[in-house]
Amino acid sequence: MKSFVDSVAQWSRFQRNRNIVIQAVFLFFVTLLGVYFFVRASGLELSLSHFSSRAGFGLSHTFLVDYTSNDSRWVAYFTGVVNTIRVCLVAIFLTTLLGTVMGVARLSKNFLTSKIAWTYVEVLRNTPLLIQIIFWQIVFLQLPQISEAITFGDTTAISNRGILLPWISDNGNAQVWFIFLGIVAAGSLYLSYFLNKREDVSGKSFSIFGNRLNGNLAGISLFVIVTIVTYFAFGRPVSMDIPEITQNNKGTWMQSGGFDLSPEFAAILFALVIYTGTFITEIVRGSIQSLSKGQTEAAQAIGLSKYQAMTLVILPQALRSIIPPLTNQFLNLTKNSSLAVVIAYPDLFMVSRTIMNNSGHALPVFFLILLTYLFLSLCISLVMNLINRRVTRIGA
Amino acid sequence: MKKIKYTLLISALFAMTAFSFACASEDSSEASSSGGSNTLQQVLDRGMLKCGVNDNLAGFGVVAADGSFSGFDIDFCKAVAAAILGDSGKVEYTPTTASNRFEALGSGEIDLLIRNTTWTASRDRELKQDFTAPTFYDGQGMMVYVDSGYNSIDDMEGATICVLQGTTTELNLDDRFTGTGMSYTPLTFETNDPLQAAFEEKRCDGWTTDKSGLASKRASFPASAGGPEALKVLPETLSKEPLGPLTRDNDSEFYDVVQWVVFGMMQAEESGINSSNVSSIASNPPNPGVARLLGASFEGGEVQDFSFGIPKDFMQKVISQVGNYGEVYDRHLVPLGLERAGSLNAMWTEGGLIYAPPFR
Repeated sequence: MKSFVDSVAQWSRFQRNRNIVIQAVFLFFVTLLGVYFFVRASGLELSLSHFSSRAGFGLSHTFLVDYTSNDSRWVAYFTGVVNTIRVCLVAIFLTTLLGTVMGVARLSKNFLTSKIAWTYVEVLRNTPLLIQIIFWQIVFLQLPQISEAITFGDTTAISNRGILLPWISDNGNAQVWFIFLGIVAAGSLYLSYFLNKREDVSGKSFSIFGNRLNGNLAGISLFVIVTIVTYFAFGRPVSMDIPEITQNNKGTWMQSGGFDLSPEFAAILFALVIYTGTFITEIVRGSIQSLSKGQTEAAQAIGLSKYQAMTLVILPQALRSIIPPLTNQFLNLTKNSSLAVVIAYPDLFMVSRTIMNNSGHALPVFFLILLTYLFLSLCISLVMNLINRRVTRIGA
Repeated sequence: MKKIKYTLLISALFAMTAFSFACASEDSSEASSSGGSNTLQQVLDRGMLKCGVNDNLAGFGVVAADGSFSGFDIDFCKAVAAAILGDSGKVEYTPTTASNRFEALGSGEIDLLIRNTTWTASRDRELKQDFTAPTFYDGQGMMVYVDSGYNSIDDMEGATICVLQGTTTELNLDDRFTGTGMSYTPLTFETNDPLQAAFEEKRCDGWTTDKSGLASKRASFPASAGGPEALKVLPETLSKEPLGPLTRDNDSEFYDVVQWVVFGMMQAEESGINSSNVSSIASNPPNPGVARLLGASFEGGEVQDFSFGIPKDFMQKVISQVGNYGEVYDRHLVPLGLERAGSLNAMWTEGGLIYAPPFR
């Protein structure tokens, strides 16, 4: 008669059976761990219902959102999200520009140019971003105090309260006009594209009074002319908004009008652009160097200038290997923007911290922050993947 | 065969980790359940008091380079440990931040929260935590440059205010300005250093936080930016900030001990008992009231037992090891320039609010 031990030994001789046991034990303890965390968390308040109560705090930057302290915490949070998106979009645009220029400069045969790019990368890539953010905050604080603001002909004022530039202000129906201009801009772009393509394919171009009609020029002219005509047709929808610095009867200096580039926004923008730019520089350089040298030589052989060779032959090919690592840098930039909290730029993290402190419920707010950053990152990934698909298409 | 061994090894490791977590949950499960807990018994069993504190606020709670904590709030942690465990050193300090402190207490990570925390209705009720007794009456103030010409917050229409991210600080500031129809721009900083850098360069017209904080920042304002004389704290107080220790809801035994230790330190000061004379007074109490406070016998009579669940002479240990309220205040807050006379923190006999219910 077989003993129980024997039958177990026989059963466990098969690896499949052993694996079942191991996995069952593993699953049991993982479940135990999950239950432990669940029990610990269940005593805590996890709903976000407190977000509908009155915010009660002010924010220094309210871009596009008309926020006051009387609004709900949701509106405050949304203002923070808009501030984050604002700084990220501008920074992504500028850092790509900076990184591309520096990446090309890094490969320049000119000693000075390439060494400047090299120094830029090696110094700024190897210092912590947080330190750089605080550095830029201090730099912008060194601008003259508002009582001694530098002014340029009453249109621009520079102080450590902000750089004030002339801007446009809405006279009533500016929004309709902007939408109209957007449509016109799309039409002009299509016109340029159509004319250039036609010339490329057929070698023939339209001519006006015997002069060749340049596609780019035609598009730009169309846009400018329509803009000027409709500006009057819409009854002057916008006017110039000249900034002004005044002192009230109690001696408080006040800024009004114009576009206000605040030191906080400028500091976080500069830091993000310059720091991320170093990584993009290296990506661009690496991608260019990964191309066969024959490409450059072939471009030279058919008589292209250096600029033409770069823009028509090298960069379009390098783009294929630039886009995926570039996406990573855009995602890093977006996540790094949460460091703005140290220099009083009210991004979504800072506003959330305030809400957290006011409500005392940190955990659910943290979940919301995580989800928001996840959403922003996935949006960037989606756009970049679409661009990547287009760039990598053969013959595109 | 090798592969199986690896799988087994990794599984065993995971299992052990999970198991140790599960075991750890047992000793704190009592605390995390909301239906009443007995922290006093846990502290006695553990032989250690877990106190959540501030580690970066001069005078109230700071950690030194060697890892030791000191400050006004820290002394109350020590006093509770002395009362329950007889030794003011049996405290495990957990530095908490403004945002995680309530969850640290709610989850049972700490037994007691003494971190310059303001008593408010929503915290008392919504956060399921109880305030024992105010140990310090603070209030939010506004600091400006002397040469600004501001004499009151009413003069500050349109001003830019540097504000340290807090719990009620930004809310009080907004209430004060929007309540009187004044516009202002808040610059909310998370930490003090960038805020001070901005204020020194006059990026903002005013600096607001609790008056105790402003006093310590003004006292240490660098000479390169004008020194303390360049600044003044406006007389107005924007808010009431009674600070004190918190315990979890439905934890009466522990709550009572913490509350009466605080009251006992105040009563000791009122009765003239301090750390140097407590042992001689306890051996021969001048009156029955002092004998009740110290858990001593008055002329050979029965010792009063308040049934706190700790030794009857707990106040003797508190006062001999930590001191009375006045000693703690003088030790930590007077060096900051927070004068006690004439403030809300003076004894009730001298016009202040420091008042202990009777030990009877």
